[in-house]
Parts: sequence; C-alpha cells; structure tokens
Amino acid sequence: MRSRRSIFDIMREHMEELEEIAEEMFDRFLERPSWDINAHSLEPLFDVSVSSDKVIVTADLPKVDPENIRISRISDDLIEITAKMRVKINFEDLGVTHRKGEFSYFSCRVPLPVPVDTSRAKARFKRGILEITLPRKRGYEIKVE
Amino acid sequence: MSERVKIVERTEIPDGLKIIFGLPDVGLVGTIAASHLISKLNLKEIAYLRSDLLPPVIMLEKGLPRSPIRMFGNEDLLVLNSEIAIPSASIYLIIENLVNWVSNKKVEIVFTLGGLPIPNRHEIEKPKVFGAASSEDLLKLLNEKGIQAIQRGFLVGPQALILSFCAERDIPAVALLAESFYNYPDPEASSMVIQALNRIIDMEIDVSELIEKGEEVRLAMRDMMRRTQAELARMKKSHEYDIPGYYIK
Repeated sequence: MRSRRSIFDIMREHMEELEEIAEEMFDRFLERPSWDINAHSLEPLFDVSVSSDKVIVTADLPKVDPENIRISRISDDLIEITAKMRVKINFEDLGVTHRKGEFSYFSCRVPLPVPVDTSRAKARFKRGILEITLPRKRGYEIKVE
Repeated sequence: MSERVKIVERTEIPDGLKIIFGLPDVGLVGTIAASHLISKLNLKEIAYLRSDLLPPVIMLEKGLPRSPIRMFGNEDLLVLNSEIAIPSASIYLIIENLVNWVSNKKVEIVFTLGGLPIPNRHEIEKPKVFGAASSEDLLKLLNEKGIQAIQRGFLVGPQALILSFCAERDIPAVALLAESFYNYPDPEASSMVIQALNRIIDMEIDVSELIEKGEEVRLAMRDMMRRTQAELARMKKSHEYDIPGYYIK
C-alpha cells in the first residue's frame, strides 16, 4: 500500500527545495565582483524584508548624502538604487594596489519578492542606511462566519 | 589536537595571557573591534591557524603569503582575528581546536567580541552592550562593570561555541555583544564592545578613530560582510531572534 504524505511532508519538501535554490543564488551572487570599473560603481550591501503589509528595502550607503540618492522603478518587481558618493574612491584607498579604477557611485537593482504599490512608497536615510518602505498590494477580504 | 586544525606559533607564546576573539559574525562587530585593537596596541603577528577545513585562501601582504586567521599579541594580550568568513560547516572543529590550544596555554581569560542583531539598529544612537559568561563569578563581574547579562535566549555561531567549550573546561570566558546590524558592518557597535572591554580589563583603548573613520570601515568591509552573511544564513543565525519556548518557573 502506498503511504500518503501529510501536508507537513509536502511543505517541508517545498521548503527544502526553496532553501537549495536560495543557497545556489547566494553562491552565484558571491562569485562575481561587487564593483564595476566601467560604470565606476560599487554594489552596496542591501536587504529586503517582507511583513504582512509592507516590503522594506534597506541599503548601506557610506559616503553618500541623501540628496544624491535616486530610487527608480524598473518594473513591477524590480527597483534600482543609485547614489553618488561625496568623494571618489579608488582601489588604493581600499588598500589594493594591483588593480586600477575609481568609483563614484553605488548602484544596485533590488528584486521585490511580492507585489507592491510603488506609488505609496516612502524613503528615508538615517545613519548612512537608506530605508525604502513599499506597501504591499491589497487583496480582498474574506469574511469569517 | 586534530591535525585538521593547527595553530602554528611563529614565536614562543608564554602561558597565562588573556585572549580576545574577534571572529566574523553579525555586523562584523568582533572583526572590526579586533582589527582596531591590533592597530591601536601595535600588536605583532605571533601565530596563525592552518586548516584544510578552510577554503584555499591566503592573504597577500607586501607580496608575502599570510594565513587569513591570525593571532597578534604582546606580553599581556593575544588577539585572534579572521579576514575571511569562516565556513559554517567548519566552525565547530575550528573553535574546538582553538579552545584546546587556549586550554594548553593556560590562558587567564577569554573574551569573545560580537554583535547582537536588532532589526531597528539604525534608529539607535548608542548600541547597548550585553554579556554572557562561562561562570557565575564572571557574571557578577559583568554586573559590577554595568554590563547586563543576557538572561535567556539563543546564541548562534562562534560566540556560542567559544562560551560553551570554555565553560565545559573551566576556562574563564566572557562574551561581549553590542546591539548591531545583522548584515551591515557596524563600527559603532565595535566601539561599544571595546569600551566595555576597557572597563573589564582596565585598558584605555581610544575608539574615536573608529567612529570618525566609520564610513571608510563600512566601505572596506563590504565584501567580507557579504561572504559572512552567506555563512550566517547557513548556520541559521536568525535563531537568535527566536523566543525560547515557555517553561514553568
């Protein structure tokens, strides 16, 4: 007789699959430089967190003033952060002498994991951290009988 | 000591010194603090760690190969610093062997410096330092120095293992953990753990430079933070946010 899998088994299998995919993406993401000499840009550290009503994107932007930050919507599920630094940074400033190139910008594209209403998005910059709050798109209500 | 992890002493290291661990963890708090201590105290490289559990990475300094995990010291103090994220699968054996070495050296006391991740870190002006220790006596010492002990909660990663292996072997050990960013380098939190350390071992390490050069530190530590973050996810660091299960008092 074939044993039936419980909903918990199925959920656990899905979670394991998702974890594997996330790990693979993480590793691939790490195996490329965090800088682009041609675009004179550094990729900032960023993070995305999702709660029941909003998505919060943060990014660490040292040497940046708030008036030099641009946030644009590339598509429904992708935003771009570009920030001009106060000063140009070159490899030597970071202790690296065998590479040449200088950087004036931070730039990254952040994928949004759930649908958001970008028209109601808000951003602030505190202690060198950019925080963008994007309200999640509302669904419909289900009445409890 | 297993041959898979070896601490190679470049010069003879006397017994009975204090040791400070600054291993990569949330906000790279310990790593930044350890680098600052090495620089301010002008400590010299005296030992390094060699292990096939680490990725095949070396540090080149003035063209010469160096281990990415090294110990710096003077006649009173040792500081262990790592310039790479330690693979989560290797942490157990590496820390176990380091604590074995510490035990053989009859180290007077172990300090492990790190961060305690809080989601709203950027709202906080002055991160608070919490402590944990290997014995009741050391908890009393923390209390006398105005450092609040973490009464209940989870600790994950190098700090957790250092503290528990030391407690098992009766090696005095203290963890100093400042509220910090999870995945952004946090030099302010590092300055707070150094100030807490100053109070405990009667040092006067100036942290003003760490604050003034905070933006440079954050820029320089980006890549190490990125790699450390991947390892933190693998070791389920987020367990530290969990509320421990209910128990009846």
